[in-house]
Amino acid sequence: MTDMRRLLERQAEWQKTRNRLSWPEKVRMAEAVRESLRQLRLAPSGRTGPPSRSGAATPSPRSGS
Amino acid sequence: MKNVAQLLNEMRAAGVVSDYALFGAVAQMRYTEPVATLDADVLVALPSSEGLDVLSPVYEFCAAKGYRPEGEAVRVGAWPVQFIPVFSPLTREALEQADTADFEGEPFRVVRADYLAVIALSAGRAKDFTRILALLEAGSVTPEDIAALAERHRLAEAWKRFKTRFLDD
Repeated sequence: MTDMRRLLERQAEWQKTRNRLSWPEKVRMAEAVRESLRQLRLAPSGRTGPPSRSGAATPSPRSGS
Repeated sequence: MKNVAQLLNEMRAAGVVSDYALFGAVAQMRYTEPVATLDADVLVALPSSEGLDVLSPVYEFCAAKGYRPEGEAVRVGAWPVQFIPVFSPLTREALEQADTADFEGEPFRVVRADYLAVIALSAGRAKDFTRILALLEAGSVTPEDIAALAERHRLAEAWKRFKTRFLDD
C-alpha cells in the first residue's frame, strides 16, 4: 500500500511538472504524439477500436479535440 | 501552431472573420497538462451568417494563403484546423470574453478556462467530463466559477448532475 501511495505521489508530481510547462511547450508535446495517435485511430477494429473522428476519446495521454 | 495564430490574426484583420478564439484540446492545454489531439478547433464569428456555406470566405482566404482543405479542416503547417462558427449564446460569449494570449510572440485569442469547462458541460460526453475534471484538477477554474456560468446559460441542472457524479463524496 505504501508503494502504491508513493507511485501515485510520483505520478501526481510528474503531472504537476507538465502543467507548469509553457503553453507552446505543451503544444509541441501534443504535436510529437499526433502521428502515433493518428496511427492508433486508423488501426483495424479489434486492436485499438474503430477509427473515429479526431478528438474522440483515447486512453492515454489524455485526449481531446 | 504559431502559423495558425498568424493566419487567424490576418483573417481577422482582413475582416473575413469578425473574431476568433481557439478552443478544444489545444486551448485546454493552456490551462492543464498536455493532451493528445489530432486537430485544432477554432470558434469564429462571421460578418455575415447568410448563405449555405458561411465558411466559404474562410476557406477562400486560407486557399489564397496556400493552405488547403483536408477533410473538414484546413491544414496549416502541422495542424489540421477546424473552423466552427459560434453556435449558441454560450459559444458567442466565450468568443467575446476570450483572452489574448502570447504564443511565441504572436497574439493568440483563446477561450477562457471557465468557458471551456461549461462548453464541455453542455456537450456532455465522457471526454468532455474528463476535460472539466482536468481543468478543475489544474486549479484553472473553480466549481463556483463553473456553477455561476452554467446557471447563466441554463446548465445548472447539468452542473448539479456532474457535481453529484464526480465531485461529491
